[in-house]
Amino acid sequence: MKIRKELWFGFSLMAIILVVVTIFTPWAGFADGHLSRDDLGALGLLMLGLIVVAIMLGFPTAFTLMGMGVFFGWIAYRSVNPELATQQILDLMVQRAYSVMSNDVLIAIPLFVFMGYLVERANLIEKLFKSLHLSLARVPGALAVATIVTCAIFATATGIVGAVVTLMGLLALPAMLRAGYNIKLAAGAITAGGCLGILIPPSVLLIVYGATAGVSVVKLYAGAFFPGIMLAGLYVGYVIILAKWKPHLAPPLSAADRQVPLPPLSQTLSSRSGNALAGLFGALGVPSLPKRQVVTQLFVSLLPALSIAALLVVMYAGATKPTAEVDTSGLVQSGGAISADEDKSAESSGLQEPPKEEGGLSEPPKDSADLKEPPADSVPAASAAAAPAAPAAASVAAAKEPAAASAAERVPAPTWYWIVFGLGMAGLLLVSWLMSWQRLEIFKMLLASFFPLAVMIIAVLGSIVFGLATPTEAAAVGAFGGLVLAGAYRYVAAKQAKSGNAVARTISDLGGILKESSFLTAKTSAMVCWLFVGSSIFSASFALLGGQEIIEHWVLSLGLTTLQFLLLSQFIIFILGWPLEWTEIIVIFMPIFIPLLPKFGVDPLFFGLLVALNLQTAFLSPPVAMAAFYLKGVSPKHVTLNQIFAGMLPFMGIQVLALFLLYMFPGIGMWLPELLYK
Amino acid sequence: MQQLLFTVDKISTFVGQAFSWLIVALTLMITWEVFSRYVLDSPHAWAFDVMIMMYGTLFMMAGAYTLSKAGHVRGDVLYGFFEPRTQATIDLVLYILFFVPGVVALTYAGYTFAAESWVMNEHSSITASGPPIYPFKTMLPLAGAFLLMQGIVEIIRCLICIKQGAWPSREEDVEEVDVDKLKEMVHVKDEDIAKLDRFVVQQEGTK
Repeated sequence: MKIRKELWFGFSLMAIILVVVTIFTPWAGFADGHLSRDDLGALGLLMLGLIVVAIMLGFPTAFTLMGMGVFFGWIAYRSVNPELATQQILDLMVQRAYSVMSNDVLIAIPLFVFMGYLVERANLIEKLFKSLHLSLARVPGALAVATIVTCAIFATATGIVGAVVTLMGLLALPAMLRAGYNIKLAAGAITAGGCLGILIPPSVLLIVYGATAGVSVVKLYAGAFFPGIMLAGLYVGYVIILAKWKPHLAPPLSAADRQVPLPPLSQTLSSRSGNALAGLFGALGVPSLPKRQVVTQLFVSLLPALSIAALLVVMYAGATKPTAEVDTSGLVQSGGAISADEDKSAESSGLQEPPKEEGGLSEPPKDSADLKEPPADSVPAASAAAAPAAPAAASVAAAKEPAAASAAERVPAPTWYWIVFGLGMAGLLLVSWLMSWQRLEIFKMLLASFFPLAVMIIAVLGSIVFGLATPTEAAAVGAFGGLVLAGAYRYVAAKQAKSGNAVARTISDLGGILKESSFLTAKTSAMVCWLFVGSSIFSASFALLGGQEIIEHWVLSLGLTTLQFLLLSQFIIFILGWPLEWTEIIVIFMPIFIPLLPKFGVDPLFFGLLVALNLQTAFLSPPVAMAAFYLKGVSPKHVTLNQIFAGMLPFMGIQVLALFLLYMFPGIGMWLPELLYK
Repeated sequence: MQQLLFTVDKISTFVGQAFSWLIVALTLMITWEVFSRYVLDSPHAWAFDVMIMMYGTLFMMAGAYTLSKAGHVRGDVLYGFFEPRTQATIDLVLYILFFVPGVVALTYAGYTFAAESWVMNEHSSITASGPPIYPFKTMLPLAGAFLLMQGIVEIIRCLICIKQGAWPSREEDVEEVDVDKLKEMVHVKDEDIAKLDRFVVQQEGTK
């Protein structure tokens, strides 16, 4: 019988571990029933070796951990007091299991997973991809860039790598191949983009890490935001440069592909004027045209202008409000929030943001301008501190301030405001001038696909990061939003299909979606949370045996510097990412790494970001890269796995580069959490 | 025999699916609670306890369901390369070595744990006059029992597989990545994919 190479490798690895285990097992201690402290420590390490073997054998990990934890925990207790051992291990076990059942961090997992399944089934990815690639048509490598952006957004909202890669393989791969894109580039963009969801919050990975390491999920989300954006940005940058440098790999779209079919009204109007705004204004006076349609079109095309104007008004109100101690305007506006946030929002320059993020839930169009806000907001950072905004309502409190004299009057708008105002106006003019009929159609498509999803993600993330809601609450509201989104898109689809009653059709569709999503959520949460039950029993036994101390002693005796320690740990995690899934790595091995961190002065939050970035590579590293197999499953038969792997390699390189950048400039990840929570 | 397997599968699936609707209830409840707290300004003291109980019950009771659909995560490095018979042998040994002792211990310990709670008439102590907590603790041995039952069925499956050389079938269920469904969703047909091969071959030809 011919045994495959992989098997040989695996078996020899297992054999080595088993031999080591047999040699170091304190058999003598077993024979006379007395296990010394050292023997127990050795047993702890053996347990770790055995678990690796058992996991590689392929038995469900949760139960491997549970069974092994019970057995070794019993030995540990028995060495102290043989009579009580059985009772003690049972107590320990049930306590650990119950602590997972009543864990207030893990509760967010089913909710985010549920949100993901709902969004996936809302069926908006097709529109999302189409509108993005049309709006990015002028960028070199437009299709690949649009693929990455679509993946980033969609994967962020769903967090299901397999589904995103499969869907993009069905949508983007044909489009790219037809446009003459290089197969490797196309495959790489899809697989790399699909994996972004596990890093960019709200990701389940960060919740699992937070629950394991005892790090606040809120901080992790704030911290992972910019590294995630950075990674996506690096991917996009790579594709653009490559497309510019070697155009034959990613040829620009033909003019025919860029064309958007115009609706009849726009077609008649476009003959009158090239600019959509001017054309629509002109059309208002023409009686022969359907008035309602013209007004609706005009409203849509004015949305960017309206949102910029609304933003400027809000900022003006914020900037010129009388000085006072506490800012409650935002809190009242957003329906009131926990009082603890008041100081926070008053002292940070982002004080206009929380209410607006919240408002985004009800007023999506306005929020679209929010996307442009952060750069504008960085200008006021200094001046806003000097003139903190506050409402007139707080004037009682303000009276106690030295600066109370001016409390009743409006503060003159600071210079930064006028700069922003100018920029806003310029942007407005530019948008109006550029708004051709083609762009209007693209904008309408974006409005229907990109903005709702973006607004939902921003609302969920914003409310978590700014402390308006706990991750659990935000996840639940996000899941509800996903349900609404799924309902809305299905309704539109049912209406377009014009088969029978659209409402009835939507409701029956929605019922099916809910049912499938609930069942899948139950299975996924059971998988993750039972793994937690197993690993918490396992790590308790590991600690009982004193395995942790031995590892600590050993690592400290190596005399590593912080850098060496980080490199070593990241390398180990990288290697583990090959045979294991990220859930197993975090749940089993993080409890071993985390206690070492304070010894080297590493922030567990920072470590978590490095781990999350690192585990991205686990999805892309051959031969177990799941993403590649999902893509292979839906690609034409002449696309080989090797081509896909080769396509993934440059993106893996970018991930390593991102890891390096994050290590060299920890501020990329740490700046936001430090700004918000210090 | 096959009949027995399917019956137990069905029970596990039914229980798991019935409890999986809790996620909908949980979503609606928290959404309502957020609305009630921030907009109506009337938070409920019991909300947190109920949230936790719903979550805990949800995943515990779905354990057996997940097992019956082979949904628990396993290290897939070598397992996938094995013959079904080898797979079954490994599984059988490890079920008896790890699964049975672990789950039996959990169920037994959970039983005494819950029984104590019933005797004490225990209520949650997170808030004053919290809701009763003994029904929630009862879920622990209950979930353990269902899991054990399903585990025994899985052991029988392994035995059948060792005997016949192929895995006995499982009932179908919703899958996370159901390629056919996704294809239908984005209106892509197999012929379309097959047609694309032209571009791939063409690209390779020019190289």
